[in-house]
Amino acid sequence: MSHVEVMTGNQAASTAACLARPDVIAAYPITPQSSVVEDISKAIAEGKLDALISEVESEHSAMSVLEGAALGEARTFSATSSQGLAFMYEPYFRASTLRLPIVMAIANREMISPQTLWASAQDSLSVRDAGWIQYYVENNQEILDTILQAFCVAEDKRVLLPINICYDGFYLSHMSERVDVPDQAQVDAFLPQCYKPDHIYLDPDRPMAVDPLTNGDLLMEYRQKHLEAQQRALTVIEEASEVFCNLFGRHWDGCVEAYKIDHNTKGAIITLGSMTGAAREAIDRLQSEGLPIGLIKIRVVRPFPKTELRELLSGIRAVGVVDRNVCFGWNTGIIYQEVLAAISGSPSIVHQPFIAGLGGEDITIEMFETAARQVVTLAQKKNGSRDQETIWLRSVSEEVHK
Amino acid sequence: MSVLDVLDRPDVISPGISACVGCSVELTLRTVMKVLGRNSVLAIPPGCMGGVGVVGWDKKSGAEIPVFFPLLTNTASMLSGLRLAYKRQGRDGIHVVAFAGDGASVDAGFQALSGAAERNDRIIYICYDNEGYMNTGYQRSGATPKGAWTSTTPYGKLQIKKDMPRIMADHRIPYVSTCSPAYMKDLVEKVEKAKRNKAGFSYLHVLNPCVGGWGFPPEESIEIARLSVKTRYFPLYEVVNGEYHITVDIPNPLPVSDYVSRLKKFSRTSEVALTEMQELIDQQWQELKALEQVRVNGA
Repeated sequence: MSHVEVMTGNQAASTAACLARPDVIAAYPITPQSSVVEDISKAIAEGKLDALISEVESEHSAMSVLEGAALGEARTFSATSSQGLAFMYEPYFRASTLRLPIVMAIANREMISPQTLWASAQDSLSVRDAGWIQYYVENNQEILDTILQAFCVAEDKRVLLPINICYDGFYLSHMSERVDVPDQAQVDAFLPQCYKPDHIYLDPDRPMAVDPLTNGDLLMEYRQKHLEAQQRALTVIEEASEVFCNLFGRHWDGCVEAYKIDHNTKGAIITLGSMTGAAREAIDRLQSEGLPIGLIKIRVVRPFPKTELRELLSGIRAVGVVDRNVCFGWNTGIIYQEVLAAISGSPSIVHQPFIAGLGGEDITIEMFETAARQVVTLAQKKNGSRDQETIWLRSVSEEVHK
Repeated sequence: MSVLDVLDRPDVISPGISACVGCSVELTLRTVMKVLGRNSVLAIPPGCMGGVGVVGWDKKSGAEIPVFFPLLTNTASMLSGLRLAYKRQGRDGIHVVAFAGDGASVDAGFQALSGAAERNDRIIYICYDNEGYMNTGYQRSGATPKGAWTSTTPYGKLQIKKDMPRIMADHRIPYVSTCSPAYMKDLVEKVEKAKRNKAGFSYLHVLNPCVGGWGFPPEESIEIARLSVKTRYFPLYEVVNGEYHITVDIPNPLPVSDYVSRLKKFSRTSEVALTEMQELIDQQWQELKALEQVRVNGA
């Protein structure tokens, strides 16, 4: 039987990691992730988790230790944030190109400078093209449930890719919520028994040269297969979500969740992560006023669920994307550009970029109301420009700082 | 068992690798792996041995044992992870081996190496030191000696060589030694000791003369290596659980000029610089002798 606990997002992450029975863990402390590694270390020290942990000297080594361990056929887990992820980039990229199903939580934190500790998806979105699968989750229950699903997806023979479960630093990492914790037997029934690779390994009984110098033609074949695996993951993620729901009774809508969207909806707000809670509230308020606006939460950014998103937006006139990150060079957020790429074949949709909540700034219900009203206005406008300037949603006016 | 018996063992490294003529690193690698045997996993980071194909090419392996490319920067940590995986499976007999150049060890890979040594992970880490980034065209490294020409120090390096074996010994790991391809018996015995070390980290530092980068005829590789020891430029010693022991004593050293004059990389070295180099060598030998006198438990 499962039981209910009040726990922080980081506790939900460490609890899920322990339930997944990893063989090897390696992580380096960094705010706001640190308590994940602390709690796992404690669980091992107290004999509650039968696993080995490497107390590494850096994030670079954390990922490297896990790569070695995964090549030695171990199930692996780590957690990091912002600068740690940046420092880890070299082995991070390679975890995916070696096709190692490492699972790593990311407590999202803004990238410096200026010096900052607080939430933004700038860290993990900046490495979205490093070949990993990336989930972005909304609350602590979803952290726990998604980490379990991630092990299932990562080790699936159709996928064999590393996975990030990203959640907003402090907003989730340090906030306490009610979390339903499944018992070990339930999780054991859900997950593969162990990680047993037949594609890449280091074993004196089965000698293999891992990563010899490789010519471009063969490298292209590897890349093509890697990209194909990412696309297959879209299906596997949905499957894992369904199977999980059947076993545990909680459904997280695979790659994309539509909230209050029907055939009358004319405008949609698109969100990522914890901001979705405030967005739901705003949509409820505006719908009660009769405004034709709904909400789409993108749960998986890599692979990007373009087909599902297109279908959801098929009857919609205007879409607003709220990004807690920036896309340098485009003067928008990153998810806005992703959405734009997905709907590029739909000239009837007007799109509006919003940037909000950088460096941990609150994204309020009122901000979502402002954003949603703007989207509704665009939806009702005839012959409006498709290319809208970014609107910065800020609680303090710029004048104050002058 | 004699050293010759070891050298007669089957070679697990491919005969087709493309090292330079007279390369002492290739000889060292083949010998080391004859000692360690097939129940090993070999990490070859980017560097000369990676470049010449020990990991392999396309789908062909350069060795008969599992071999892989770590990054330049993470050789030791990847091996730490492998060791944990094998520990988890109860496969403690597998030798987890790094064969890494000085760039991957004393410079870019130093943090990972120091971390793994501090954790005392059971890894056999062999640094083949040819005193520079020889695979990429003879650039300077932290292991390049003062005064030496490299392609990035065209008028000679200004700083002294990083004393890596001493730094590693100060991690208080169970086994550290220096080795030379000119002293094969000594080298084989030291690799044997690392092989038997179940208590934790083993670090072996081999000075490997580089024909192209140092500038000497290919047939003189071993002779140059021997001169580096006979001049006390590169003393052969080991540090077992903190206790220093010089394994090849050099009671009557040759002057360092006998070594320096054989190498084109020192062709611009002045008399003053040569005197300084001799002073440093004398001082380091004295330190080594003093360290040899220190007994860990006061015994």
